[in-house]
Amino acid sequence: MNRLGVRGASQWSVAWRRFRRNKSGIIGGAIVLFFITIAIIGPSIAPYPPRSYAPLYQGDAGQPPSLKHPFGVEESGIDVYSEVLDGARNDLYVGLAASLLTTLIGVAIGALAGYFEGAVSEVLLGLTQIFFVFPALLLILLFARVFSVLVFKGLGLTLIVLILSFFGWSGVSLIIRGETLRVKEMEFVQAARSLGAGSMRILFRHIVPNILSPVIVIATLGIAGFILTEVAVSFLGFGDANTPTWGLLLNEGFPFIRTDWWVSLFPGLAVVVCVLGFNLMGDGLSDALNPRLRE
Amino acid sequence: MIPVFLGVAILTFMIGNAAGNPINLIRLGLRNPNPAVLDALRHYYHLDVPVYERFVFWLWDLLHGNLGVSISGRPVGSQIWSWAWTTMELQITSLILAIAIGIPIGVYSAKHQYSKADYVITSTAIFGFSMPTFWLGIILIIIFSYDLGWLPSSGASGISFAWWGNPFLDQIAHLILPVAVLTYVGLATIVRLVRANMLDVLRQDYILAARASGLSDRAVTYRYALRNAISPIITIIGLGFGASLAGAPATETTFSWPGLGYAFTQAASNLDIPLVQGITIVITIMVLVANLMTDIVYASLDPRVRID
Repeated sequence: MNRLGVRGASQWSVAWRRFRRNKSGIIGGAIVLFFITIAIIGPSIAPYPPRSYAPLYQGDAGQPPSLKHPFGVEESGIDVYSEVLDGARNDLYVGLAASLLTTLIGVAIGALAGYFEGAVSEVLLGLTQIFFVFPALLLILLFARVFSVLVFKGLGLTLIVLILSFFGWSGVSLIIRGETLRVKEMEFVQAARSLGAGSMRILFRHIVPNILSPVIVIATLGIAGFILTEVAVSFLGFGDANTPTWGLLLNEGFPFIRTDWWVSLFPGLAVVVCVLGFNLMGDGLSDALNPRLRE
Repeated sequence: MIPVFLGVAILTFMIGNAAGNPINLIRLGLRNPNPAVLDALRHYYHLDVPVYERFVFWLWDLLHGNLGVSISGRPVGSQIWSWAWTTMELQITSLILAIAIGIPIGVYSAKHQYSKADYVITSTAIFGFSMPTFWLGIILIIIFSYDLGWLPSSGASGISFAWWGNPFLDQIAHLILPVAVLTYVGLATIVRLVRANMLDVLRQDYILAARASGLSDRAVTYRYALRNAISPIITIIGLGFGASLAGAPATETTFSWPGLGYAFTQAASNLDIPLVQGITIVITIMVLVANLMTDIVYASLDPRVRID
């Protein structure tokens, strides 16, 4: 508050004003809202329950798109429209949960590796680099196969979330480490230190809040990335075969692409539009939160 | 680099051990396993010694280029080299095309920021960035292979029938669709990066100084701006190339392209642990080499960076 009792615009309201003026960012945000709505109400407006073969008994198996089945029917009798609606909930769950988890792990490890010097930082950086050079997608496939067959049956998509997060945090961690290295030499950190603040207080109360902008952008773009990864994993047949996801539909449609193009087209379009929404929103946030571009 | 390599080796080895005992998998395929044969296999896979000793055996073999034998009975090493070559053929062609097309487009887009062309370029790029690569492949197969019949839909070469009448053209025909897909997706990333970095650099004072000293627009753009904008891009391209060595398993599967990614997918599906370990470690070594080469290129382009 200044002397006139008027509150200056906060950092977040400035960012919101900048974001609002960014046309593509707003379009992205609208797409994201649309898919969140579908994720919430989708299963209740879907004409058939998840994994239902009912159209088979109505003689509609393998039908192209029609008024009754807007996105057509699989050869096995699954209604593609219902499954695309259900897929929104499941794919958003994987994207949001995996992005949240990797951001938490990445920020914790990256901030510690950037703030401390000596052995702690060396070990954490080494660990991050090992995970960074690992061919993550391949190991995700392997783990999904091993764990779903041998260890955790019935965890469903949560298993995929855990595996994606386990192999997906290293990029976040490297960026956060760089940001921490940059911020920790700034005056306000020295000021906090000279007032006697402890390491953990400085790190998580002073440094991390100041690097929240890149964290928000990374997390948003991460949702897009993890949805794409989940789609690839399920397409290859390593996902959860009992939960409708867009990747699973693409997997089931692939043997029939010569005849049943609709099983491949519509789930793929859903992926493209949804991921595009998160990417546009992430770009918009990145512009809005970037202090170098501020007027 | 050596500690990272050791760490990766240990993790790869542990993954193999966590995934199960290869003897049990072999035993599944035998009706009346002979105990002597199982003992011999156990000895062959060093399953009769403690795990740390087995790691030393494995690392020793690895350093001598011996990656063991897959559960199908074929040596892992020779199989991997043929897949690695097929993957590289695809990835290097796409990478070269993506760089050659992406850099001029990105520069143009940055120089004409907010023009119509810039909007078209950036929206095309973000679409490529948001698309599952393999899905684009499926759509192209439906259009160009099945509807129009112009191009083959799968494999790296024809078996009984050569496209366009000769073996060399046949290989080109098989490359076109997968290369087109990977180039578009790679292009999207490169255009976005070049544009963003060029916009940053073009705002700098030394660009103004170069312009004020009367240099031609071309010289300012390419010799002053691009050279400074490109160094961070080299790193990203290098890292991306490393990642692409894993062979984009979904894209290779879509085109039945006999590369590392497709092979790994099959091996993981069959839980062929020696093969899985072999592919993982070979890809990791190639990624480490690619990263080292990136650092060298970076240092040679940017005089501020020197390798000690």
